[in-house]
Amino acid sequence: MTTLLHRRCSPSALDEVIATAPESSAILSEAHRHSLSSRFRAVATTEHRAIDAWMVEHGGRPHDVFAWSPAMTRRTLANAALRRVRAHDVGVLDALKEEIDELLVRAAAGYSRSGSLASWLTQLSSPARAAVLAEATSWTSQLVEITTPITHAWSVAVADAHYDVAQARTSLRGRRDLIVEGPHGRVVVRVRGGAPGKSAGPGLRADLTVDALRDLEGRPSTRYVGLWPEAGVLLCVDGTMDDLRAGARDLVRSAVAWRRHRVSVAA
Amino acid sequence: MTSLLDTPPLGLLDSIRGNRAKRPRRDLTSAAGLRATLDDELFALWGDAVFDTPLVVRASSLRRGPATALSTHPLAQVRGVLVHQTLRLLSVGAPLERPFDDALGAWRCEVGNNDLLAFVDTLDAEERARLASAVGAHAQTLARALGPLGGRWLPRTGVRASQRLGGGNVIVRDAVDLMVGSTTTSEASVALLDVTTAPLDENAERSMRYHALVQTLRTTTVPLRTSAFSTATGELWSHDVDVALLRRALDELVEAVRGLWSPS
Repeated sequence: MTTLLHRRCSPSALDEVIATAPESSAILSEAHRHSLSSRFRAVATTEHRAIDAWMVEHGGRPHDVFAWSPAMTRRTLANAALRRVRAHDVGVLDALKEEIDELLVRAAAGYSRSGSLASWLTQLSSPARAAVLAEATSWTSQLVEITTPITHAWSVAVADAHYDVAQARTSLRGRRDLIVEGPHGRVVVRVRGGAPGKSAGPGLRADLTVDALRDLEGRPSTRYVGLWPEAGVLLCVDGTMDDLRAGARDLVRSAVAWRRHRVSVAA
Repeated sequence: MTSLLDTPPLGLLDSIRGNRAKRPRRDLTSAAGLRATLDDELFALWGDAVFDTPLVVRASSLRRGPATALSTHPLAQVRGVLVHQTLRLLSVGAPLERPFDDALGAWRCEVGNNDLLAFVDTLDAEERARLASAVGAHAQTLARALGPLGGRWLPRTGVRASQRLGGGNVIVRDAVDLMVGSTTTSEASVALLDVTTAPLDENAERSMRYHALVQTLRTTTVPLRTSAFSTATGELWSHDVDVALLRRALDELVEAVRGLWSPS
């Protein structure tokens, strides 16, 4: 049986779900990895596909064409700024300004690729850059609010979890924002805008599965926490074998739906 | 007569946040009671029925008086959006040299293209100048009143909230223009500010109460104060948030749901 824990977002709720994370989690063996890989290979594709929790939640629908906007930059900037806030004890606004300045310097020095956040920021007017800063300030402040009551050791995730499925032209991405050292192992927290939909649970399980796959020993986090501050809701899934199986199944289903979509577009 | 002040006048947010030593303790218990009461009231309306399409309640749903469709006043709508953008820019200390152009640039960056922006592009020079002058005046009033924002106050602009009530049959949506303070301190410190380009009236007061209620439900923490500032008149209304105010907001919300729901 899969798990899904629902909590209202009180100031102490996140710390409570971290403290009550289960003692043990399942482990994905080599056999599990081979089995998953063969299932993905069975869904043939001529191009590379990337699957994540968002696609699982949206029935395998591919992402829209990506374009930078203040809302799209806020997570990247806010996570980087939160790291600065922790490391240097600076204010949110100062941390974000430093981060944006650093990106601009990188772009000016020719170290950024075209289409990257740094190169997009250089094309913006001052008011537009201020809009980016305002959006990121709100998101970072929200993250500070979320993390302040955490009593366990935590860090900001350096990058999302990625796993390339062997010989299946498929990469899986698991979204993660905070990694907390819980009492019995790591707990991963991801923060999202809006409100959770009916398929938020499967989305979390997909992220949990990718988190386990990217771990060398195949060990998932003991608990995967989805936080929707706008809705004031916390959802958690535990690192059990049933949850991992359900997550893997949904990822494969998304690959099938994705292929159907591509075939219908081509037709 | 010339009079000199001993201390500089308080900025808008200084006066909303008040004296730190006099703040009440953080209330973490009222939210659960309010939610339960709301669910009971909604259950009394339609029992255990499940709607195909949920009712959506916004601050504007609580307005009284003749309803005016914003689509019939696009200029007023554009002015409101641009003043909101001005607030966002001011919240991060951006200098406003040309408020209209700056706000328009920020808005364009945020939404890309939409009908309202297309409408702005179709304005002739005279209409555009009139709009720019109106936005400039509102922005100046706002900038003068707002004063500098402390970085440690955690200023958040355009804070959205969405709550499902009544077994998912009602979605309560809200957006607060500016929020400062933290829900994690031992005393109440969250202050909500609604900025409007219209003069303050009874509807503004209802919106203030609505913001306080929705934020209480969202964070399970009762905010310290809810306020509204009019850039048309420079007037500020501010209320301490207590259980009586939240109870009143709850009654107004249930009344709004009753107005939206038609038993079939």
